[in-house]
Amino acid sequence: YACLVSCLFLFAFWFASSPAVVRPSSGGVHGQRSAVFSREQARQRALYPRTEKIEVVLHGPGLHGTLLIMNKGVSTPHSCARHLTEWHVKSSALALVDGEPWPLHKPLIQSCSLSLLSFKDKDPSLVNQAYWRSCAALLGQVLEDAFKDEYSVELLGIPELPVTSGAFCCDFVLDPQLDSWNPSEESMCSLIRGAQQLIHQDLPWESLEVTPSVALEVFSHSRCKQEEVEEKAAKSNNGTVVLYRCGDHVLLSGGPLVARTGLCSQYEVTAIHRLGEGAWGLHRRAQGLSLPFQLEAHHTVWRKLRSRATKLVSEDFYWLHFKFLKGQCVESCIQILTPLFSCLSSPTKKRLGYY
Amino acid sequence: MRLTLQMLISHGRVARKMGLGPESRLNMLRNILTGLVKHERIETTLGRADEVRFYAEKLIDYAKKGDTDTKAMKMANFWLTEKDLIPKLFKVLAPRFEAQPKGYTRMARIPNRENLDKAAMAVLEYKGNPFPPLQPAKRENELTLINQLLKGYREEQAQQAKTQKD
Repeated sequence: YACLVSCLFLFAFWFASSPAVVRPSSGGVHGQRSAVFSREQARQRALYPRTEKIEVVLHGPGLHGTLLIMNKGVSTPHSCARHLTEWHVKSSALALVDGEPWPLHKPLIQSCSLSLLSFKDKDPSLVNQAYWRSCAALLGQVLEDAFKDEYSVELLGIPELPVTSGAFCCDFVLDPQLDSWNPSEESMCSLIRGAQQLIHQDLPWESLEVTPSVALEVFSHSRCKQEEVEEKAAKSNNGTVVLYRCGDHVLLSGGPLVARTGLCSQYEVTAIHRLGEGAWGLHRRAQGLSLPFQLEAHHTVWRKLRSRATKLVSEDFYWLHFKFLKGQCVESCIQILTPLFSCLSSPTKKRLGYY
Repeated sequence: MRLTLQMLISHGRVARKMGLGPESRLNMLRNILTGLVKHERIETTLGRADEVRFYAEKLIDYAKKGDTDTKAMKMANFWLTEKDLIPKLFKVLAPRFEAQPKGYTRMARIPNRENLDKAAMAVLEYKGNPFPPLQPAKRENELTLINQLLKGYREEQAQQAKTQKD
C-alpha cells in the first residue's frame, strides 16, 4: 500500500497542462465498452430462445468417447468440465473443439468433439501460447488502470512471441506529459500488486465474436484500437473480430486466451523499455514473467528467469518459430517491425540472435 | 534379506532354506529357472526370485562360453529340465547379453498374493524381453511452460558464453 501511495505522490509532481482531452475518464471509457460488450453478448444469447440440445463427444485421458448432451448456444466447455470433476474445472485452461482452439467460456453452437487442455498435457504448446497472450493482456489491463485519469494510456497491441523468448510483452503509449517518466522500483511494485489483485479476484476471460461495426463502436474513443480492429477483420476468415472481456476491460487479442486470471500464480512485471518514437507517440514495451499455479518455480529458478525477463525481447529473431500462426506471422511482423526497426541496435542482436 | 558376503562374514550362516531340504531347494530353483528361460518373465515369491536371480545370471555366464564347451553344456543340461530350451539358451539368450558383463535380470516387487498367506511377490525377467516394460522410465515433459522457459534461458546462456569466448 505504501508503494501505491508513494507512486501517486510521484505522479502528483507533474504539472497538468491545460487539458485539451475531450475523451471521458478511463473509468467511463471502460464502463461504456463493457456495456456495449454486454449488450452484444445478450443479443447473441437471445438468438437461441428455445433450448436445443447438442451432443458433445469428449476426448482425453480416461474420457474417450464420453457423450454429453448440452444446450446449444448456452453451454461452454467450462460447463462440460463441470459435469466431470473439480480437477477438470480447475486445471483446464483451453479447449479444443473439432481440432480448433476454443476459449473455455465461449458457448458451443453445434455437436462437436471436445478435449480439455491443461498445462500438464503431452503437448501443451497451444496452452502455453494462450497463457502467454493472456498474461500480456493482463499486463495491458494493469497498465490501463495504473495511471491517473488525466493521463491517457493507449495499448498498442500484444506482439506474438514464443514462450522461449523469456518474457511476454505489451506495447503501449503514455500521455505526452509523461514522456520523460521512467518507472521506479515502487511503481513496478505497484504494477505487480495490481496484477496480483486481478489474479486473486479470479476473473474469467469472456470471449465474443462480433462484426467489425460492433467492435468499432466498442473502441469508439481510441483511434489506435479501431485500426487494430480493421486489421484483424481484414485478416480473419469470415470478417469477424473476437473481443475478450476481463472484469471491466474489453480487449483484442491475436488468439484464444486462457479461462481465468486465477490460473496464473507467480506474476511479475519485470521491465518497461522505451522503443523510441512511433506512429502514436513514444512507444514503450512493458515486459513480464508469469507461471501458472500447477508449474510454480522455486525461488532460485524464478530469480534466474526473472533476470532474463528484464532484457528487452524483440520479435525479429523469433518469427521463424511462429508455426501456429500459419502464415499470418510474416505480415504481422512486418507491420510491427517497420516502426521499431530503427530502435533496435546491434548489441541487442548479438545478445538475442541465436535462432 | 540381501544375502551378501558381508552378512556371511558378520552373521555366519545366512543361506536361505527352501522346500524340504537342500536337494528340494535345488530342484525348486531348477524348475523356476526353467520357467524363466521359457517365458523370460515370471512371477514368484520374493525369496525364491531373489535366490533364482544368482543362478539365472550364472547360467548366462556359462551359456556365453558357447555350446561346444562341455562344462557349459553339462550346466545347461542340469539346470534346464525341459531339454528343448537348451538351444534357446545358447542361441537366443547368450548372444543377447554378449555386450553386457553382468546384470542380465531385473526384479520388481508386486503387491502381495491374495491368498491367506499374503506372500510377498516379485517379478523376475531377463532384460531385452519382448514384453512392455515393467517400470516405464518417466521423462519430464520438455514442452511444459517452465521447461520451455528454462530451455530458452539455457540457450541464451550458451550464446552469451560463446560470444564471450570470441
